[in-house]
Amino acid sequence: MTIPSPTRARVASARTRRQVLTGAGCALLAAPALLRADEALRFDGPWGETVLDRPARRVVSLGYTTQDPLLALGVVPLAVREWFGGRDHAAWPWAEERLGDAAPQVLTGEVSMELVADLAPDLIFGIGSGISRAEHELLSRIAPVLMQAPGQPAFGTPWQEDTRRIARATGQSDRAERLITEVEARFAAARARHPSWQGATAVAAWQNGGQTGAFMPGDSRAQFFAGLGFGLPPALQELAAVDGFYTTLSPEDLSPLDADLLVWISSFSGAEAIATLPMRRTLQAHLQGREVFADEVTAAALSFGSVLSLPFALDRLEAEITAALDGDPQTVVPSARAAGLLP
Amino acid sequence: MRRAALLALLLALAAALSLTTGPRALGLSDFLTALTAYDPHDPAHVTLMAIRLPRLVAGLIAGSALGVAGTVMQTLTRNPLADPGILGINAGAAFALLLGAAVVGRSDQAAIALFAFPGAALASVAVFALGGGLRGDAGPVRLTLAGAALNALLLSMVTAMVLVRQESLDILRFWVAGSLTEAVYRPVAEMALLALAGAALALLIAPLIEALSMGADMARGLGTRPARVQAGGLVAVTLTTGAAVAIAGPIAFLGLMAPHLARPLAGASLRVQLGTSAALGALILTLADVAGRVILAPGEVRAGIMVALLGGPVFVWIARRLRPGAMA
Repeated sequence: MTIPSPTRARVASARTRRQVLTGAGCALLAAPALLRADEALRFDGPWGETVLDRPARRVVSLGYTTQDPLLALGVVPLAVREWFGGRDHAAWPWAEERLGDAAPQVLTGEVSMELVADLAPDLIFGIGSGISRAEHELLSRIAPVLMQAPGQPAFGTPWQEDTRRIARATGQSDRAERLITEVEARFAAARARHPSWQGATAVAAWQNGGQTGAFMPGDSRAQFFAGLGFGLPPALQELAAVDGFYTTLSPEDLSPLDADLLVWISSFSGAEAIATLPMRRTLQAHLQGREVFADEVTAAALSFGSVLSLPFALDRLEAEITAALDGDPQTVVPSARAAGLLP
Repeated sequence: MRRAALLALLLALAAALSLTTGPRALGLSDFLTALTAYDPHDPAHVTLMAIRLPRLVAGLIAGSALGVAGTVMQTLTRNPLADPGILGINAGAAFALLLGAAVVGRSDQAAIALFAFPGAALASVAVFALGGGLRGDAGPVRLTLAGAALNALLLSMVTAMVLVRQESLDILRFWVAGSLTEAVYRPVAEMALLALAGAALALLIAPLIEALSMGADMARGLGTRPARVQAGGLVAVTLTTGAAVAIAGPIAFLGLMAPHLARPLAGASLRVQLGTSAALGALILTLADVAGRVILAPGEVRAGIMVALLGGPVFVWIARRLRPGAMA
């Protein structure tokens, strides 16, 4: 990979400086936790290498969801990024208690370089932040910036990979492996509990501003149901996905949504927009009571798709899906009733 | 009379196209049974009665309302470029919508109509007042300047809200260009009444507006009170524009385009101009909606974008024909 010159120059100079320090035997005196040069943490990124002398402690989390893996690993960020919802400290129920008494600064909208500089972080997490190369450049003058691995998309890297990368940078790799194993085991157990779900189809659908669509395999919301053993219905598979994340449907034909399980993901338009959608009433999934409604918090847990939010979403949805897919159209799905979606 | 019959025929054709065009193929029997034995579980019936028919009705109402609004605006202000989009009225609706959704914390279709209407109304009052309209001397340049300034101010406030709130961006994404697809959720009947009231008022005071357009002094000599006429015109514009925005969102250029296309057909009478412009507005918006369904099928292009694609060139045509001091 070609690294354009400014980045290469800065990375190189940082390396030289460290080698000089290590060479002079100053490293151990200056900071006991400093890793030896050959043990330094090195990360490839889309815009060059990030090198850490020691695991980061004071971190700023610019990713819209990276506060979750950090909190899961017991690292409370100095600042977090607001995605949506306006929660205190951008912490949703699944992450709230891990915050303790800490009160991270919430960064809203465009990243304020001044605010970040003021916090004097020793590492800035840019994974899942969508920051531009220019912003990366500027932030790198404040502290090293850790991006996603080269070749990975800015958004939608697998949660395991995010967790591992963040864990390595904060010296928590062992803990991360334990957490990942735990979450994967929870999904495996759910699959084992529900053999009838294996190979059945499920769609995570959305309704926003008069437009109906479905989440596609690149999106965490679709991946959640894949993780439970569900597949996409063939009619949906044939449709092109926008950025791999979602697809929009013609209001005159919602039949691609007609899966064994139809999960409506709450959007800002609210449940009413879904309940009053006339074409929904023509779907077999609706007529046979196989709809589930993911309310604001559940929808957010699916959207975050993190090591913390996934088990939370599983807890909230397992009974709902069971009720929807029990083979009896009369069984009431509680979330669908609350949202006014029942036939 | 022959022109009126021709317009009516064109409208009927456009309506037929609107009901028969779309990704779902409908047979003649679907049309008959949808009317006689409507089945809410039949996709064909739902397509016809809950999607295509509401879209058609919404297009007819919003389009004719904008045709009336544009004609009144352009005549009253003697400004051939007056249009709800150019004068910041659509931006006012968008800002009120985002602000309202942020305050109330919801953005369903009821909220959209609830906030868009007063937003559009306030913006039209503001641009009229800023342009000197309340003192009875809203000249073309003043009003356009006031509109451009208000538009810039409101749009930057919209941008600020979008930068701060992700939810606002989600709303604006669907609001930035008008569309008829949401019409089925909007209070179309109520808005139709408001638009009708606005159009009736415009027709009623049309002779007074004509008198005013000969100049304030001349109008006074003829026994007209300029401030009252302008206030009446403003109410008519507010009702029609607000109703159109609440039904279809911002449709740029239509209010500008329809009166210019109508004038050569209608002649000098403002009442005839109003009727012709309303019919053309309805025709253009309905056809734009149909074209939007076809052009990128099975996806759709929003009617607001299709109108703008057509309106851009027409705008250039109007601007090139303009002579200083003359109505196009």
